[in-house]
Amino acid sequence: MERRIRVLLAKPTQDCHDRGVRYLMRMLRDNGFEVIFTNFLVAEEILSSALQEDVDVIGISSSSGGHMPVFEDLLAGMRKQGLDDVLLVGGGIIPPRDIRALKEWGVAEVFRPGSSAEDLIEFILKNVRGAGVDAVTADKSEMSS
Amino acid sequence: MFDEKTLTESREAEARWRAAFDRLGARMESNGCPSETQSGLPIKNAYFPHDIEHLEFNQIGTPGSYPFTRGNLAAQYQFMSWANQPVIGYGLPEHTRERMDYLAAQGMVGYFGRPFYNLVYDLVSHEGLDPDHQGARGRIGQCGMAVYSVRDMERLFSGLDLRKINVVHITYYQVIPALAQYIAYAERLGIQPGELRGNSMNWYHQSAYVGMTAFPPDQALKLAVELISFCTKHMPRWNTTNFFCYGIEEAGGTAVEEIGLMLAFGKELVRACVAAGLKPDDFLPRFGFQIAQANDFFEEVAKIRAMRRIWATTMHETFGASDPRSLQVRIHTHTSGAVLTAQQPLVNLIRTTLHAFGAALAGTQAMEVSSYDEALAIPTAEAATLALRVQQVIQEETNVQAVSDPLAGSYYVEALTDQIAKAALAVVEKVEAQGGYVAAQHKGWIRREVERSAARWRGMVNSGERRIVGQNCYVREEGPEPEIFEISPDVEQIAIERIRELRATRDSARFERAMRDFEVVAKSFAQREVSELGDDNLMLAAIEAARADATTGEMMSVLKSALTWGPPH
Repeated sequence: MERRIRVLLAKPTQDCHDRGVRYLMRMLRDNGFEVIFTNFLVAEEILSSALQEDVDVIGISSSSGGHMPVFEDLLAGMRKQGLDDVLLVGGGIIPPRDIRALKEWGVAEVFRPGSSAEDLIEFILKNVRGAGVDAVTADKSEMSS
Repeated sequence: MFDEKTLTESREAEARWRAAFDRLGARMESNGCPSETQSGLPIKNAYFPHDIEHLEFNQIGTPGSYPFTRGNLAAQYQFMSWANQPVIGYGLPEHTRERMDYLAAQGMVGYFGRPFYNLVYDLVSHEGLDPDHQGARGRIGQCGMAVYSVRDMERLFSGLDLRKINVVHITYYQVIPALAQYIAYAERLGIQPGELRGNSMNWYHQSAYVGMTAFPPDQALKLAVELISFCTKHMPRWNTTNFFCYGIEEAGGTAVEEIGLMLAFGKELVRACVAAGLKPDDFLPRFGFQIAQANDFFEEVAKIRAMRRIWATTMHETFGASDPRSLQVRIHTHTSGAVLTAQQPLVNLIRTTLHAFGAALAGTQAMEVSSYDEALAIPTAEAATLALRVQQVIQEETNVQAVSDPLAGSYYVEALTDQIAKAALAVVEKVEAQGGYVAAQHKGWIRREVERSAARWRGMVNSGERRIVGQNCYVREEGPEPEIFEISPDVEQIAIERIRELRATRDSARFERAMRDFEVVAKSFAQREVSELGDDNLMLAAIEAARADATTGEMMSVLKSALTWGPPH
């Protein structure tokens, strides 16, 4: 049986602008991904969810600023825990100059306002670990609901 | 409202109009204009007297009279314009103060010329933390001001006469600690709580549709009642509760859901306050409403008129309130942030001007106009000034303030007002059928409804059915990156040093005693029913803790542990 791509979507607890990330959760599920949605106070919380759930992708939504330390901590933690092959993406209100820095640090992509759910889905399918291998797929026929 | 002859002529007129319309329609393609409002209510292409024949004249009524469809006051803006209430808050308290003073110098003014400050706390405070907590990193002074103690309040308000200003404290669930600190700060200046004017948000109800962590809904309802009960007795000029209608539309809900869900919450809250021994006419006059003004121009105007009518009739008929102030919906308009775009950001100035103009026509009491760079970062001083100028141009140059409720009597606006009122009351019934707002929240029903509307809206934007200039039409290559506001990089370190200094220099014996009491009271509060509230012990203990220089994080940690804290339902 094929394993569906697992995506952990997370948002810092204090950031109440959750409309976008909730929409993405719905769209990813509708497109055959398995989605875990959570919030976090510190990066370790995401890392432990990521390990427990064996996710392929971590998506961080941030619309209130303060994203740089979050990504910094996350990337350091991912390296330490051997999660280097997990795809880390971000989205929300993140200024272009921060995006340049984040990509240098190792964030795979940052989606700005105006990006679509399809952009995210396409990016994941192309870049997730084992992309192109049959065993990893977002199979719509398996959609449970 | 119309005699038979007029109604007959009206129907004949519509038939002639319809024939002409259809002749054109047969030859031309529609330009894609939706035949329904943003909420999905059907609309006609022209309106006639018979479209409002079912309305009684007194459902529309008179400005300043029940059911207040046409506004709260007989003289709407003729003696007192709406208050300018831009949201202010970033960095250290003194940074926020700088922006307060700057905007006041630019003409920002409240009711009857009184200074009015609409202040938002930062993300750290919202989460109930102190700046030295690990989870605070990067968020100190972001999206709000780094104010965590009475000493921070001194830094913020120093030199202002609290008796002469209105202060809105925009908090989430740290509302009791923040109010307690403001009261304790006032006391140090020799000012009694009863002399203070302003607002607490009391926004626990927002966890039904927005946000990530919160108190459980039933505990949250008691906390809301606690603050109302205390203020009703000790702070007669303080506005205790703000209905966060705005958050519903921002989270994706429709105009109908925005007012329907908030009226449903209103019923829940009034029942709880009554159970705690309060009388509706004692606390209702101090409720306020933050309402969004978004893109569907007439629907957003009609929504305000509808809300005034259904709130007044519900509070009067269901709860027996009779003081006119109990029945009025006092509105703080917040022009929509969710419909602003990061693309071609200056276009947002045009959007917010239309929103603000709609709110003025609808008869709002106070206004925050979003800055054009809101979708990029905290507003720059220039963007904040332009947002204030939007209000000032409408106030000073358009003459719209000369006439109260200028859209009254428009067949369309009256028909739409009635349509929205009925649709919103249907939402209220659905909530009540589930046992009320808290029960519906427990089931996740409120969030599901709002999320479904958000997805529907996004679908319409994606398909081009709803147009957004710069996003799904008239797109162009983005120009150079606009100037983006940044808080000063040393804010974090200074805020941390200040909290450490506070802990080292406060009277520790007094602090320990106050916190022990607060903890005991909070634990007992958690066990009580709403009907057992009314002694205001929790508020009194919080104020004593604030007097002892307890921080927001310290007080919130007591409340979180006593009442539990976690992901919202």
